[in-house]
Amino acid sequence: MKILIEREPLMASIQNVMKAISSKTTIPILSGIKFEANEQEVKLTGSNSDITIESVISREEDGIVNIHEIIPGQIVVQAKFLPEIIRKLPDNQIEIQVDDDMNINIRSGHAEFKLNGQDPEEYPQLPVLQTENSFDIQIDLLKMLIRQTNFAVSTSETRPILTGVHIKLDNNELGLVATDSHRLASRKITIDQVENLSFNNVVIPGKSLSELNKILEDTQDTLQISVTDNQILFRTKHLYFLSRLLDGNYPETSRLIPDQSKTVMKVNSKDLIQSIDRASLLAKDNRNNIVKLVTQGQQNIQITSHSPEIGQVEELLQTISIEGEEIKISFNAKYMIDALRAIDSEQVLINFTGAMRPFVIRPEEESEQILQLVTPVRTY
Amino acid sequence: MGKIVQLPDELSNKIAAGEVVERPASVVKELLENSVDANSQWIKIELEEAGLRSIKIIDDGDGIDPDDCETAFFRHATSKIEDEFDLFRVKTLGFRGEALASISSVSQLTLRTSTGDQSGNELVVHGGDIKDKQKHTKRKGTEIIVENLFYNTPARLKYLKTIHTELGHVTDTINKMALSHPDIRFECYHNGKRIFFSPGNGNLLQVIQQIYGKKIAQNMLQLEDDSLDYKVSGYICKPEVTRSNRNFISLIVNGRFIKNPVINKAIFDGYHTFLPIGRYPIVILQIEMDPYLVDVNVHPAKTEVRFSKEKELFDVVKQSIYDVLHKQRLIPSGAKKEKPKSTQTTLSFDPMTRQDKTHDEKEQLEDIGHGFHIQESFTSHFDDADNHPVENGQKPPYPNDIGSESEELDEETERMPLMYPIGQLHGTYILAQNEKGLYMIDQHAAQERIKYEFFKKKLGDPPNEVQALSVPISFEFTGKEAIIIEEHKEAFERVGLFLEPFGDYSYIVRSYPSWFPNGEEEQIIRDMVEDLIQNRSIDIEKIREEAAILMSCKRSIKANHYLNHQEMEYLLSELRTCHDPFTCPHGRPIVIHFSEYELQRMFKRIM
Repeated sequence: MKILIEREPLMASIQNVMKAISSKTTIPILSGIKFEANEQEVKLTGSNSDITIESVISREEDGIVNIHEIIPGQIVVQAKFLPEIIRKLPDNQIEIQVDDDMNINIRSGHAEFKLNGQDPEEYPQLPVLQTENSFDIQIDLLKMLIRQTNFAVSTSETRPILTGVHIKLDNNELGLVATDSHRLASRKITIDQVENLSFNNVVIPGKSLSELNKILEDTQDTLQISVTDNQILFRTKHLYFLSRLLDGNYPETSRLIPDQSKTVMKVNSKDLIQSIDRASLLAKDNRNNIVKLVTQGQQNIQITSHSPEIGQVEELLQTISIEGEEIKISFNAKYMIDALRAIDSEQVLINFTGAMRPFVIRPEEESEQILQLVTPVRTY
Repeated sequence: MGKIVQLPDELSNKIAAGEVVERPASVVKELLENSVDANSQWIKIELEEAGLRSIKIIDDGDGIDPDDCETAFFRHATSKIEDEFDLFRVKTLGFRGEALASISSVSQLTLRTSTGDQSGNELVVHGGDIKDKQKHTKRKGTEIIVENLFYNTPARLKYLKTIHTELGHVTDTINKMALSHPDIRFECYHNGKRIFFSPGNGNLLQVIQQIYGKKIAQNMLQLEDDSLDYKVSGYICKPEVTRSNRNFISLIVNGRFIKNPVINKAIFDGYHTFLPIGRYPIVILQIEMDPYLVDVNVHPAKTEVRFSKEKELFDVVKQSIYDVLHKQRLIPSGAKKEKPKSTQTTLSFDPMTRQDKTHDEKEQLEDIGHGFHIQESFTSHFDDADNHPVENGQKPPYPNDIGSESEELDEETERMPLMYPIGQLHGTYILAQNEKGLYMIDQHAAQERIKYEFFKKKLGDPPNEVQALSVPISFEFTGKEAIIIEEHKEAFERVGLFLEPFGDYSYIVRSYPSWFPNGEEEQIIRDMVEDLIQNRSIDIEKIREEAAILMSCKRSIKANHYLNHQEMEYLLSELRTCHDPFTCPHGRPIVIHFSEYELQRMFKRIM
C-alpha cells in the first residue's frame, strides 16, 4: 500500500476515528487504526466495544485534490502515536508506504518514521449494515436532540439499559427519552419524508451519542440514520458512525409523567438557574446537592440551602406567576440546572404535584415538545 | 569499707525471675516446656483467675527422681544439658536451669512427682524456702501447683493486667505449645471450665482446627519441603483467608515456638501478590534442623534465636510457600463449601489435551467412591479414665471432613480452567461457565494481572542509560550508614548509581539511571540506601515491580465498562496464559467459583 496525501484531510480523519479508540481495550488490535486504500479513496476505521467510526477521504473533491497517489492495500497502525506524528511532520504532503512485512514508512519532507504495523486480517470484521430502515435528519437538529436528552442517561452499569437514550419513531414523530431513574429528559420532533417507517425500543448507548455529538459539525447538512436489530448507523458524506444498541427492554416511561398538577409556576429560566446555582455552592459538599424551594404567596419563591458545617444561603426570587397550592420541595440542584439548561427557553413552566412527587419542567411555549422530569429529594 | 556485696541467693533469684517470670503466661510456658522435655504424652493445665490465684500443671512425663527434688529448685540446676558442648546443641526446650528457681521464688509452689518405680514426693516451697516435704503416691509424672504468684513482689503484681488479658496471654502460650507439639494432648481448664483441648494424635491440622476453627482448617494447604540443612513442614492458608496482623504466623523451630523477622519476611515474599495490602496470612511452619545450626541462648524468654545459615533458610521457606501456592487452583468458592459425597467424573473437552485423556479415564472412573474418607475416631486414644472427658453423648470435637480439600494439580493440567463467557454483570464482572459450574471474574483485576505480568517482563530489562545532573544531589548519612555504603559501593555501581564521597559522611550523586521516575530520584536513592542497610542487598527488582503494579492498574479497563462477547473471550484466554491467574498484583481475588453442586444446594434441588 502506498498513499501520498495532504495533511489536513488526513489529520481530520484521524481525529474522527480516534474517538472510537480507547487506550484501555482487551483486544490489542483495537488500539490501532485500520487504513484501507482503494483506487478512489482511503478509509480509516477505529473501533471499540460500543462504536465503530469510519472516515473516508476521497481522492478528489470539489476540485481539491486530497490524495495525489494511491496504491491499494490495507494496514493497521498503532493509534497512540499517529496523531502527534502527523501533526508534527514538516511538510504538508505525507507519504505512507507499507511493505509486505507490514513495516510502515511515513515520510514528509526530510523526516521519516518507520512504524511496526499490525495484520489487517486480525482486525475484527465489522458488520455490514442494511440501510433499508433509514430516515434523514438535519445535523444541527440531531445535535440539539442529543444535547437535550443525553445528559440524563445513567452512568452506572447496574441497570445497563438506562445508560442509553431510548428512541421511538411512529407516525412521523421521533421521540427520545433518557433517564437515570432520578430525572428524565424527553424530546419529540416531527420528521418529514418517512414512509411507513416505525420502530420502538431502540436504545443507543449514551457514550456513543456524546462521541457522535463531538464529531459532527454544526451544519444544516442532512445525515442518514439506519436502524437494525442491534445496531444503528449514522452516515454523512465522509463519515460512518456505527454504534451497538443496548439489549433489553426500555422501561415504559410515559406513565411516569404526571398529567395533572397542584401547583403551576411560571418563571424566568435564567433567573432560576442562577439562583439555584448560587444556592448549590454550599450544597455541593453534600452528597445529594440539595436545594430547597418554598413558595411565598402568589409571586415569590425562596431558594435555600444549608450545610451544617459551612453555613447557609437564602435567596428570594420573583416569579412571573404561581397558581395553586403552596409548596415546599427539595431537589438535587444539578438535576434541576441540567434540566433548565436543556430546555433553553426564556420562560419555563414548572408543574408540581406535592413535595413527594416528581415535578415537570416545560418551556413556556407548549408547541415545543420538550419535557424534563425531576424527582424531589425527601428530607426528614 | 567496700560498698560491693554479693547479693543473697533469694534476691538474685528474684532478679532472675524478673526476666523469666513476667506474668502468669510465662509461668505456664516454663512449666509446659518442662513437661514437654519430660516426654509427656498428656498435659493438663488448670487455672484459677487466669493463673493469678493458682496454676496447676499435671503431666504423665518422666517425673523427678526423689534425690533431685530439692536440687531442682536451685538456680542453674538442670538435667537437660551437661557441658558447653550441649549448650550449642540444645535439643530440649529448656536448658537454663532457671525456671523452677525463679517461679518458686515469687510464688507458693507445690511439687508432686514420681518416676513411677518408687513412691513419689511432695514438696512445698514458699518464696524460695522449702516449707514442707513428704511422701506421695507413685503416679508417674509431675504435678506442679503455683499459687499466689507474685505474692512477695508487689511491684510486679501491680503491673498485671485484667484477668481477661492475662487469660488471653495464657491461652496464647498454650496454643503455641499445642501447635509445636501436635503429638501431645493438651487440656486447659479455667475456673473449672474447659477452654482448650488438643487431640494429641500428631495431626497438626486438627490442632489448627481447635485453635482457629473449622473453616480456617479447611482452607489450609499442606506444605512440605526440605533442603540439605532444613526440613520445612506445616500449613499455610489460602490467600482468600487473611488476617489484619502478623500474630497468626507461628514459627516452630525444632519444637520451639519462636519469633523471627527474617522468616516472616520469607513468608511474605512467598505470598507476594497473593495478599491484599495490609493483610497477613495464617501460617504454621515447623522447621527441623540440626540443633547446631541454631543458637537459642540469646534471650531468657528463648523466643529469639539465631540461625547459622539464615540466607539458605530464607530461600527454602520462600520457595516452599511459593511452590505450594503455585500448585493450587486458588479460586475461592462463592458459596459455603460443602463437599459432595461422591462425584461423577466427566470428560474434559479441552482441545489441548484431548489425546492423552483417554488412558487417564479408566483411572478416574476407578476413583469414584473413594472420595469420602472416614477418619477413625479418637476416642480409643483416651485411656486415662478419670480426668477426661468425652462427655456423654457429645461427639468428639474433631470433624472428619477437614482432610486436605484443595485440588492439587499435576504439572500438565492447567491451573485456570477453560471458561466460556455468558455475559457481563453491572459492567464489572464477567460471568463464565464450564462443566464445573459458574465463575465470576473481576474484569479489572483480570486485566491488571495480565498487564502486570507484561510490564514486569518489560521493566525487567531497562536500558542502561544514565541521566547526568548539572547540580549534583548531595546526601548526608550517619557514620554507620556510610560504612555500609562504602562496603556495597559496587552494588550501587552495578545499578548505575555512582556515589562520590564528599566530606566525611556525605556523598554526591552526579547522575542517575534514566528509568527512575521523574522528581522522585532523590527519594528512590534514599530508599535504596535504607533498603541496603536493612537487607544488606539492593533489590532493584522490587522498585521496578512497584512501578509495574502502578502502570498495570492505570492501563487496565475499569469497572463500569461494557465488554462485548469477543472481548470477554479474549480476556479470559489471556488470563489463562498468566503465570498467577488468581489474584491481582494487589492481592485481591480475580475469579470466584460456584460449583454446580453448590448451585444445586443453594436452590435446594438437592438437600
